Amino acid sequence: MLNKLRTVMLIDDNEVDLKINSKIITITNLFDKIILCHSGEEALNYLSRNKNEDDKIPDFILLDIQMPEMDGFEFLEIYKGLPKSITDKCVVAILSSTLDFGDIKRAEANPHVVRLFRKPLFPKELEEELKKHL
Amino acid sequence: MNATTIRVLYIDDEENNLHAFKASFRRQYEIYTALSADEGLKILENVAVQVIIADQKMPNITGVEFFKSIKNTFPDPTRILLTGYTDIEALADAINHGDIYRYITKPWNDLELHNSIKNAYDAYKAKIDLRNKVAELEKTNDELNRFIYSISHELRAPLVSTMGIVNLVKMEGLFNSSGEYWGLIETCSNRLDYYIQKTLQYYKNNKTVSEHTEIDFKKLVADLIELYAYTDKDTKFNVSIIQDEQFYGDAFRIEVILGNLISNAIKYQKETEPNKIVNISVEVQPTQVHISINDNGMGILNEHLEKIFLQFFKSKINHGSGLGLFIVKEALNKINGKITVSSNAIEGTTFKITIPNVK
Repeated sequence: MLNKLRTVMLIDDNEVDLKINSKIITITNLFDKIILCHSGEEALNYLSRNKNEDDKIPDFILLDIQMPEMDGFEFLEIYKGLPKSITDKCVVAILSSTLDFGDIKRAEANPHVVRLFRKPLFPKELEEELKKHL
Repeated sequence: MNATTIRVLYIDDEENNLHAFKASFRRQYEIYTALSADEGLKILENVAVQVIIADQKMPNITGVEFFKSIKNTFPDPTRILLTGYTDIEALADAINHGDIYRYITKPWNDLELHNSIKNAYDAYKAKIDLRNKVAELEKTNDELNRFIYSISHELRAPLVSTMGIVNLVKMEGLFNSSGEYWGLIETCSNRLDYYIQKTLQYYKNNKTVSEHTEIDFKKLVADLIELYAYTDKDTKFNVSIIQDEQFYGDAFRIEVILGNLISNAIKYQKETEPNKIVNISVEVQPTQVHISINDNGMGILNEHLEKIFLQFFKSKINHGSGLGLFIVKEALNKINGKITVSSNAIEGTTFKITIPNVK
């Protein structure tokens, strides 16, 4: 496939889910590098800190919705104001266990979100989506 | 028992009547009197009166007009109209517009007026009690809904993690490493997840107000098939959608209804059937949409057909929650839809639904 190294960023307050999802990604080899963030703030800090180093900016972000303090939608609000060098490169998808109709509609309506994945993450679904973007 | 004193306001332009009233009733009630509607209004603004008595014939305003004028500002006190002559028109007006509880002719009989005031107070109290009860119930209901909702979320998050771990176990080729244990964990997790989802759907259906949006059935049906057929790739779907009209309806409930029926059609297939088929047809008309969902699955026993829409009804062979079709029916009730079912063990099951187009 591509010879370029591909990076994914996982944003999730749940330690277990971070572990499971990074393991799934490692086994399926869908990405070469995984950045783990336990909160939206941590992710935003990472992105602004590395905004000038293209190889550190992830190609894909998997974002949880329900997180304490800053939830997924609040993260997206700030994210969209980040430099274009970041937002043009990152493809954002939501990964959540939500069944809330409002959450689902909001995720679908958000122009920065390419897809909503439901937990548990199925590698096949992720792979199909990646083909479209990367 | 410590009986509360009833506060009565009496408005009459004849001072003698006010005196007579006070003389007769001051031992029983807390009495406020007013010589004019304006004076009466001042008292109402300052004292929580429970019963208002007004004379019909006053110089600037009639009793009925006065009651009409305070309809929105002081809706709670019970009204009694006093009049010196039998005026049919005033009587009709009083009943139609003044929200008047009793009509009493002058000169009044003390016992009759006393009873009327007592009854008027009881009516006032019943009204207030009912309102408090309703508010209390609404609050409890609201809390319950929020509680169920948050529990469903909090319960589901760790459950979904468990399901993720099971998937990981499969990917690492360890699924059969401990006999059937992983398979059992998977079955239990899936069943629990199913219950949580159905519980949420049920509560959301009860709580949510209908919101009408445009619905594209082609997309909706395709999305639902993708969602539910994920676990079962054997079933063949024949989908026919005729939608030349715009359709407006309650997207959440329609999704719940079709989702449950489609997932049932997939779930209750005959295991031995080599050609598992689900036929879905949708025809949108200006006033309604007709939807039919047919499968060649195991069918529903004739004696069960009556019961399938009941809460917690399950047949022995099937492993459902007894909630799916109940929710379908409840959701249809909320949006004035109709459902019929026909089924037998040879040809399978057909559900036919009609939902109004609220365009």
